[in-house]
Amino acid sequence: MQISDEKICQIEEAAYQIRRLSVEMITYGRWGHIGGSLSMAEILAVLYFNHLQVDPLNPAWEDRDRLVLSKAHGSPALYAALALKGYYPIEKIYTYCQLGGLEGHTDMTKTPGLESSGGPLGMGLSVAVGIALGLRFKENISARSYCILGDGESNEGNVWEAAMAAAHYHLDNLIAIVDYNKVMAKGFVWDLMSIEPYAEKWRAFGWEVIEVDGHDIEALDSALYQARWVLPRGKPIVVIAHTVKGRGVKQAEFNYKWHTHAPDPKTADAFLRELSHRYGRPEEGYSRLHDDTEKDVFYGGE
Amino acid sequence: MAESKPAEMRTVFGNTLVELGAEYANMVVLDADLHTSSKAGYFKKAYPDRFIQVGIAEQNLFGIAAGLALTGFIPFPSTFAVFATRRALDQIAISICYPKLNVKIPGSYVGLPTSRAGASHNCIEDIAVMRVLPNMHVADAGDNADLRAIMRTAMETDGPVYFRVTRYTLPALFEADHIFQWGKGHLLQEGSDVTLLGTGLMTSFCLDAADMLAKDGISAEVIHMGSIKPIDRNLIAQSVSKTGCAVSAENATILGGFGAAVAEVLGELCPVPLQRIGVRDRFVDSGGIDDLFTHHGMQPADIAAAAKKVLAQK
Repeated sequence: MQISDEKICQIEEAAYQIRRLSVEMITYGRWGHIGGSLSMAEILAVLYFNHLQVDPLNPAWEDRDRLVLSKAHGSPALYAALALKGYYPIEKIYTYCQLGGLEGHTDMTKTPGLESSGGPLGMGLSVAVGIALGLRFKENISARSYCILGDGESNEGNVWEAAMAAAHYHLDNLIAIVDYNKVMAKGFVWDLMSIEPYAEKWRAFGWEVIEVDGHDIEALDSALYQARWVLPRGKPIVVIAHTVKGRGVKQAEFNYKWHTHAPDPKTADAFLRELSHRYGRPEEGYSRLHDDTEKDVFYGGE
Repeated sequence: MAESKPAEMRTVFGNTLVELGAEYANMVVLDADLHTSSKAGYFKKAYPDRFIQVGIAEQNLFGIAAGLALTGFIPFPSTFAVFATRRALDQIAISICYPKLNVKIPGSYVGLPTSRAGASHNCIEDIAVMRVLPNMHVADAGDNADLRAIMRTAMETDGPVYFRVTRYTLPALFEADHIFQWGKGHLLQEGSDVTLLGTGLMTSFCLDAADMLAKDGISAEVIHMGSIKPIDRNLIAQSVSKTGCAVSAENATILGGFGAAVAEVLGELCPVPLQRIGVRDRFVDSGGIDDLFTHHGMQPADIAAAAKKVLAQK
């Protein structure tokens, strides 16, 4: 199904906001994973604004789609997407990593719209398999189980245990998306522990595989549409989304040094300015960190 | 009256799964290639559609259980306690306990009576490990009625539960209509000189030890603590404030486990002399069950000897 230009614009705007909010969140929180948040901005934007059947006004809707973020360190991007979707006010993102606020890694008990808790890598796909099985046990349910994985966590054996089980149980209501951003915490995937031939591994485990440019909204949308509605039934589906770690901020792109690193307010401001220029929105280059009151809040604890 | 010839506890586990399966349509049982050993296979036979085989993949076992709980089911991911404790701890901690999911974890093959498999299969650290996970409840049944009651209570408990299933035949302590409550111990025998606190199969060893002590004119109070977390602090404090000393006994390592929980309560509420019976800081060997209890100093006579030691320290 062809996505409309209007829809593409809406998703692009969401991806832009996810990036901005991620940078602000990590700056305010003084901790977080910028690279892996920026790399999946389009993935989350396409999911939340054209695919996931969810209702922020009815978060417990039984027939809702469930999304498990296995690479739970990408929480800032997901928190931003949930705020943009309307699960909570945007202001909540400024509680990230503050006591009583949004947790550093995903905590479903503290975050409306989150479907699981995580942090240790390699675990999420198993949870998504359990959700897919659970949904299949229920009658008259069309909901799907989605899972976003990182490339590096494919080093974990647990991922492949889950992959094996998903194929064994013919979980065609399970759609995994890999944010293949090529960079792990301490270097490139191929230097630390190669996962290639990656698509072939998934195929050998009995999955349908779609490879796509993870920053091309139209291509991503089409892949997710294929995964849900077009591909023959009987197999789980993985969308391998080729992405750039840190996408949107030159200094952070493909740079493992920005895997876990909080920018200081000045650097954050430069990042936001760069983002807004890239998106043709120079007037929005300034973050709320420039606001005097906010500055006081930020430096108040120092 | 309690049955005269009790069944092996794992048989009661399998039967209770089936019994609960009839009452709870949302109950599911998962297995990692051990269902004929654990007796979870009884559930498979009764409700094949609600039995999920995950193969030899314990990390996946607990992750899938979390996903099922997230969609409204009450899963029992079943495997040997060693694999739950040692192999899948991260999954249990973060996928299950952190979001406080309704997963009920039976740990099979606990402590000394397993088979003759040795250290890799005899789980001695599960009480210690499970006890420290926030949101987790931990129980070790004293007999078959206790196990059945624990499983019934687990179904009504909001959040994760870990309970031990002993591969052994235990003498009956309780009537069939016995009720289990979290944080409630059971006073089995009143006494005035020393308190014997048992959990799991060691409670009946404590009763045997009390009989031995009685012959020497020592009056032992025996308490069964099926609920290890939360633990009945008040009952412990009440009893030792009367007797002035205590012995704990568990079918597990004494490091960090039940005896440690008792020591915490005593230390905080009413410090009295304490001896802990259980596996010392070592792995378990292959061997006959009775030989193992003797080798590790966990026979009723060892409990009685420990009681005399704490009596002397009063």
